[in-house]
Amino acid sequence: VNLTVQQLLEEFVGRWTRDEPLAVDELLVRAGPQADELAGLIDRFLERAPRREPTPEALAYVRALDDPPMLRARQALGLKLDDLTTALVSRLGLGDWALPKVRRYYQQLELGQLDAGGVTASVWDALSGLLGRDARRLAEFEPAAPTAEAMFRVASADYDMPLAEYAAAAKAEPELDEVDRLFTGG
Amino acid sequence: MRDARDAEDSRLLENGEIDLLLAGWVETIDARCVAKMRGPVGHDVAQAVCERLWKELKAGKHRTGRWPFRVIVYQVIGYVCAGWYEKGWGEGELIEIDGAADDTFTGDVELQLTLEAFVATLPPEDGKVARLWLLERLEIDEISERLNKLPNAIYQARSRINPRLREWLES
Repeated sequence: VNLTVQQLLEEFVGRWTRDEPLAVDELLVRAGPQADELAGLIDRFLERAPRREPTPEALAYVRALDDPPMLRARQALGLKLDDLTTALVSRLGLGDWALPKVRRYYQQLELGQLDAGGVTASVWDALSGLLGRDARRLAEFEPAAPTAEAMFRVASADYDMPLAEYAAAAKAEPELDEVDRLFTGG
Repeated sequence: MRDARDAEDSRLLENGEIDLLLAGWVETIDARCVAKMRGPVGHDVAQAVCERLWKELKAGKHRTGRWPFRVIVYQVIGYVCAGWYEKGWGEGELIEIDGAADDTFTGDVELQLTLEAFVATLPPEDGKVARLWLLERLEIDEISERLNKLPNAIYQARSRINPRLREWLES
């Protein structure tokens, strides 16, 4: 159906007056080559219209703004961490053996504890596909600095460990596997 | 001109109910960003706008009430949308619109252009319908009952109002 800009604008205003979801992206798709014209009208309408009453969802969204964006994006889709991990492993073409490690790396990334600079493009692509958002941008989250002063231990196990044992322990570290390379080798 | 919601925004700001204040704008921010960015990337932009506003509200900015909160929202939307694809754009530049005294500030936000102003441009009978429809958001049967007119008369009024609305938006 070839709808005119006028018809789509009226549909938009109708949604707005009835407190229905505005779904502007869907209207723009339907406008086809007239999307620019419709977008301008919608933008100007919203600029001039009073805001609507806040929904409980909007309030919950604002209250979660202090959470990391990637966590919010996953929660907004109702995806559990395990679900996302399974899907991510599949998209990356890895086997079930990789699930625990991918889960750990993903969670670190989500919480801003993993250097996003080390994450490879294939992981970003896979995550963007799963979250429906630009995952690299979502990861540009800086966790809040700790408010309390740092505590220093008088002694530590590392300090007490003889150098030879330290070297042996280092040697025992497993070599980097494919998952490590995907999340830290970028 | 301050519109119907400006007073409520000011009240929420004064009471420190900044979560409710911003929640009232989330939908508008999202829809405007999608329109401005011409597609779903607008959702990401909207998130950046909300994060920026939330950070500023928590830091106690915009408490002076010098400008209606919608003006601040629209400034941030314009700023983030314009900078989204610029290399190196980020958190560096903060918006200080209610900092230094500048009585001429309105940026690209025209304070006078509200739906109330549009309603005032209409002939009296259509203006009554438009007010109930666009400002009070009543359905056709409710408007018809309120104005004691047949629903068909309300349909006809709306069919006259719609093109006028578009003209006004394009003006």
